[in-house]
Amino acid sequence: MIWFLIVAALALAGGVLVVTARQPVHAALGLVGTLLAVAVMYVMLDAHFLAAIQVIVYAGAVMVLFLFVIMLLNVEQQPPTTRWRWLRPTAWGLGLLGAVAVAGTVLSQRRPVPDQAAVDAVLQGGDAERIGTVLFSEYLLAFHLVAVLLLTGVVAAVSLVQRDGEDRERPAVAAFEEDPGMRASEPA
Amino acid sequence: MSVPSEYFVALSAVLFGLGAVGVVTRRSAILVFLSIEMMLNAANLAIVAFARQWTVTGGVHALEGQGAVFIVLAVAAAEVAVGLGILVAIFRHRVTTDVDQLAEVRA
Repeated sequence: MIWFLIVAALALAGGVLVVTARQPVHAALGLVGTLLAVAVMYVMLDAHFLAAIQVIVYAGAVMVLFLFVIMLLNVEQQPPTTRWRWLRPTAWGLGLLGAVAVAGTVLSQRRPVPDQAAVDAVLQGGDAERIGTVLFSEYLLAFHLVAVLLLTGVVAAVSLVQRDGEDRERPAVAAFEEDPGMRASEPA
Repeated sequence: MSVPSEYFVALSAVLFGLGAVGVVTRRSAILVFLSIEMMLNAANLAIVAFARQWTVTGGVHALEGQGAVFIVLAVAAAEVAVGLGILVAIFRHRVTTDVDQLAEVRA
């Protein structure tokens, strides 16, 4: 229980960093902390394979991709918007109210704690062999559709980032550096 | 002694709420995207907690919850690839990822 509280505090700290950090890189690192904490939660919930996948795919590959794009685009620090001043406190109020309402409802509806022996008998630690059996039987169609989706995603990502023929010599970033007034002319 | 599943679901709800706040308050599209990833993870945590709770009632199919989370992870990976590609493409044309300046797409 004490470990759960420590890891939950880490996850929430990372989450707060994601929402409040001024530097985008700090927000991304906060999300890495949250993802690693969630991976520890998966271990506590007897989902060992998912914990490994979470660390490798999410905290590894996906977050590296995010950091690459953050550094590639060089996202500048932005001051809070002057329009919609009410938006930020309202969002915090409503968001936290909703979260606390759901959490309070869940915590007031106590259910029997799973018996570790029964969990071990059914989940068997959630190892790769058992997950694979589920994926290739109950989820066979979904598994194939995910394969098609991943292929589509790869093709889409490549074709989105590919440049058109004519502006190959003069990418937008270089054009921006030559003409700093370009942003001012953009519609606000 | 194992931790009750309610605690995991409650943590998941708070993480989801934090992510929703981030989606609404953040101005850079990349940070909005980061918040969406956190919401996805909160949902996954809830599914895994429910999968374990299912064993209480003798559900022999409790592992299917973990299989579903695996599918969600794969879909999220595809979503990140396409989403970041769109962000890079938008940045090329507009030299900004500020969602307030990209608001002309609205109806």
